Amino acid sequence: METSLLYTLIAGSAIAAAGGLVGSFALLRRMALVGDALSHVALPGIALGLLLHFNPFIGAFAFLLLGVLIIWAVEHKTKLPVEALVGVVFTLALSVGALLATQEEILEALFGDITKLSRLDFVLAILSSAFIISLVVIYYKKFSLTMMSPDLALSIGYKPHLLELLFLTIFALAVAAGIKFTGALLMGSLIIIPAATARNLAGSMKSYLWLSAFLGVLEAVFGMLAAKYYGLSPGPVFVIFAGIFFFVSVFLKEK
Amino acid sequence: MPILELNDLKAGYGKDKTFEGVSDVSFSLDRGDTLAVIGPNGSGKTTLFRAILGSIPHEGELKKEKNIKIGYVPQKIDLERDIPMTAEEFLKLRIHPSEDDEHSPAKVLKMVGLGEEYLSKKIGELSSGELQRILIAWAIIGHPDLLLFDEPTASVDVAGQETVYELLHKLQDEYSLTLALISHDLSVVYKYANKVLCLNKVQICFGSPLDVLTPDELQKLYGGERKLYHHLH
Repeated sequence: METSLLYTLIAGSAIAAAGGLVGSFALLRRMALVGDALSHVALPGIALGLLLHFNPFIGAFAFLLLGVLIIWAVEHKTKLPVEALVGVVFTLALSVGALLATQEEILEALFGDITKLSRLDFVLAILSSAFIISLVVIYYKKFSLTMMSPDLALSIGYKPHLLELLFLTIFALAVAAGIKFTGALLMGSLIIIPAATARNLAGSMKSYLWLSAFLGVLEAVFGMLAAKYYGLSPGPVFVIFAGIFFFVSVFLKEK
Repeated sequence: MPILELNDLKAGYGKDKTFEGVSDVSFSLDRGDTLAVIGPNGSGKTTLFRAILGSIPHEGELKKEKNIKIGYVPQKIDLERDIPMTAEEFLKLRIHPSEDDEHSPAKVLKMVGLGEEYLSKKIGELSSGELQRILIAWAIIGHPDLLLFDEPTASVDVAGQETVYELLHKLQDEYSLTLALISHDLSVVYKYANKVLCLNKVQICFGSPLDVLTPDELQKLYGGERKLYHHLH
């Protein structure tokens, strides 16, 4: 059953706003690529959810949580380079997921389809987005400082390692929330591209955060409407819009 | 009671704390002291500061006064150049709304010799000297009891250096601040420090500069490295 366009737009916008905010902090931490690849970890979780008949959101979130725990542990407990690990583990997860699911399911899990939103999916999208946005607002100072300089954060009594873990968990939640929208393959870009675009245009942190969220919403709405009009999948259309905005912002910045 | 006391401290990275590590460090600081930490590159000065801050694990005793507030000025922070954060926003990360306005962003900037026009500048676009002053301002905002300066003037021009040390001196008088600074400049050590710690992986000396900075000790501290330098070429 197709959900009404309004519900789709509301859920998509909420996810995009939360994703944009999370992305703006992720870029302070230089985790654009890690964040992008992290979303692939969701695939086996989604596949398991489909296979064992529980909500794929739960499966995706569980696997993502495992993914961020691995990143966090490798960063702090070992000397292994995170990039190499991301390259190995995350693509591994993608392959496992691909084997677990059927062809059709894989396509939906990889690229998402927000038009097939159930009532529960809608509630989950709204709740998790609201939760993410409030956490980011509450922890704004602590996150900014930790991402910029863990030493400075530590000197005023913050616990940068724990804050990083909290942030990564929020990141995982944002990806899980967006799986329905853009799918596991493209969700990373929903988080990273609006923030990267905003960074080219913003003159302050405040405008950067607002703009990231706003651009995310704008691109999501454009993407969903265009996809509806042309009968396309909203996820890829969103990313193409986001990409266009990004290149325009590069041009504006150079000027 | 000392504000900071270290006994047989060992700190560093890796399993046995030997990577970039220091060991056998024992000294104490009282309120109002100025400690200069000297030693060749790679001798563990920054590692020692990190251990005092608590950002790396240590063995041995590290006693800090209860509720001590530590300010820290890193040598540099690894900023992305296009980070969209203004100096004012950066300073406000440190300020709690309830705090006094004696240390408002504009006022602390003035204390480190920067005008109000810097409030709206992006911190990624500042010169390294300007950024360091912002970092100093940032540390001052928190009314620290102990201020750790990692090479406070490494990237500040000579005219600026004077002001930074004078500023430190003034702060020290006003708030009985304790200072620990890493410095390569022995004239600064003689002029401002009442205690000096020589470090080269292990503690070589500790005491008042006039007592411990003898030609022999300096040879011991820096001499080894010079020989190694010649061998390499």
